[in-house]
Amino acid sequence: MARLLDVRNLETRFYTQDGVVHAVNGVSFHVDEGETLGIVGESGSGKSVTVLSIMRLIPSPPGKITNGEVIFEGRDLLKIDEEEMREVRGNRIAMIFQDPMTSLNPVLTIEQQITEALELHLGMNHQQARRRAIELLKMVGIPAAEQRIDNYPHQFSGGMRQRVMIAMGLACNPRLLIADEPTTALDVTIQAQIVELVKRLRDEIGMAIIWITHDLSLLAGLADRIIVMYAGQVVESAPTADIYRNPRHPYTIGLLQSIPRLDEKRRERLAPIEGLPPDLIDYPQGCPFAPRCRFAVERCFEEDPPLEKVGPEHEAACWVKPVGQEVLAAWRAAVLES
Amino acid sequence: MFRYIVNRVLWLPVLLLIISFITFALGVYGPGDPVQQLLGQRSDPETVARIRRELGLDRPLLVQYADYVGRALRGDFGESITVARGQPVAKLIARGLWVSIQLNAVAVALGVVVGVPLGVLAAIRRNTLLDYVTTAGVVMGISLPSFLTAPILLWLLSYKVRLLPPGGWDGLFSRSVILPAIVLGAGPVAVFARQTRANLIEVLDQDYVRTARAKGLPEVLILGRHALRNALIPLITIFGLMLGGLVTGAFITETIFGIPGIGRLGFRAFSARDYPILTALTLLIAVSYTLANLLVDVLYAFVDPRIRYE
Repeated sequence: MARLLDVRNLETRFYTQDGVVHAVNGVSFHVDEGETLGIVGESGSGKSVTVLSIMRLIPSPPGKITNGEVIFEGRDLLKIDEEEMREVRGNRIAMIFQDPMTSLNPVLTIEQQITEALELHLGMNHQQARRRAIELLKMVGIPAAEQRIDNYPHQFSGGMRQRVMIAMGLACNPRLLIADEPTTALDVTIQAQIVELVKRLRDEIGMAIIWITHDLSLLAGLADRIIVMYAGQVVESAPTADIYRNPRHPYTIGLLQSIPRLDEKRRERLAPIEGLPPDLIDYPQGCPFAPRCRFAVERCFEEDPPLEKVGPEHEAACWVKPVGQEVLAAWRAAVLES
Repeated sequence: MFRYIVNRVLWLPVLLLIISFITFALGVYGPGDPVQQLLGQRSDPETVARIRRELGLDRPLLVQYADYVGRALRGDFGESITVARGQPVAKLIARGLWVSIQLNAVAVALGVVVGVPLGVLAAIRRNTLLDYVTTAGVVMGISLPSFLTAPILLWLLSYKVRLLPPGGWDGLFSRSVILPAIVLGAGPVAVFARQTRANLIEVLDQDYVRTARAKGLPEVLILGRHALRNALIPLITIFGLMLGGLVTGAFITETIFGIPGIGRLGFRAFSARDYPILTALTLLIAVSYTLANLLVDVLYAFVDPRIRYE
């Protein structure tokens, strides 16, 4: 499939009073047309900053993209001027955010917030834009869309607001939808509904998706490929099935061991990853995960491992590259015995 | 909404009754004696007692108060006892009220017209020279008292340069308004500039502004459509308080510039313990602030969709 987005060696820093925050450190990945890429990692791993850098929405100052390329539809988004970038935002690449409670403007009606992108990017007049907005609201499953369109955000529940956000995002038929933890602030049942909705719309519209989450289990039925981020780096990248079945980075293995499973005979004890992620101001030499890693060897503390191929489409940044399949099997057996 | 307003208006008389009683009691029991003021220090006790009887000051407080309320309802707020002896208070106040309203309206208008844009500029050009100059100006505008700025400006612009008349009142559209308007407007300009800057900086940091940016809106629309409205809503409260202050008159500024408003009247009444004037003025201020607060609430309901009063 055709390459839609190619991020190469992206580097974003924040220049704060306490020092330089190394938020994104040489991140590379790609997204093909119509593909869904999951980005997983804990808070502060650089997931959001990565996609905000792609959109050039890093608050600057203090933030700055210091290196890299973002090739989208054949152009480097980091090189075009601000006006051209505005035509990409909301039009070719749309973004939905984590907290639907605060991401909608409280003093504007839903109509005003959906139609402005339509009028701006597609040159619709107000009547056309309103019709299209109602259509979009119906598409994302808002009941009585004709009436609800004139409501304000506070008149919607959290789940409904996220639907509105999605309708806003899809307004101009973007080629890429970036979803930055769109279900984190929602109830679990609503979460599942939103995931299903996005999957359905993806298949109808045929756009590509970057879905950011800290919840690896959420991506199972959603993503084609997953990249795992840690301390502003990609530590593992593989097709979704490989990530679950045979992870090769100790951090990914740790993430999988901390997800409760329903398909086991007996309840396994969850294994949290001990310790804390590194300080991104005082960035460690060597592998950033080494201090928390069960598999770490001497070399891990001295040299930062590069991403290396471990399978046809599978890459991991680790000197040890434990075979996750075996590690996980042994762990399950041990837990079942005890 | 309508019910809310009616409800608030119905409470107004109760509030006024309470305020007027407190004010009245203060006038009667407060320090100093109006009769002494009237007659001078070396008056004989008999005359004092006679005048007290004549003025009805020897009756119990509640009787005096009931009498006062009864008259006030008919528009009779008594007569001035010292400032303009024998003249009806209502007439004295009415004469000065219009002057004070005009002067204060100019000051509030200056606050909005100059202060708000200044605050917007400072917010979007944060940490530039313009921002620093504005901040310095704001500190001065808020902290320099009018009894300091007024004489300095008078000395500078009226005595040294002889650009503007030193005082008096020749109507709203005259050169004599300029100096007092600057002195009175400095505060509102500073307050509006500071609040606008602070609110706008906070709003520009909100998630929904990021959403607007992610839609590809140009900065002008982000500011004008998404940020400014949210930033200006809280200013209504300040605006309302200033509107309430329209009729209080500016005691010091009016006195310094010799402007015949109720501020100067109040200052004189205060110095001469002319309590009928003071009581009436206090009532007027209370009504004014109450109505201004009501107006603020109603305005909020119109501009902020999240607020609907039950």
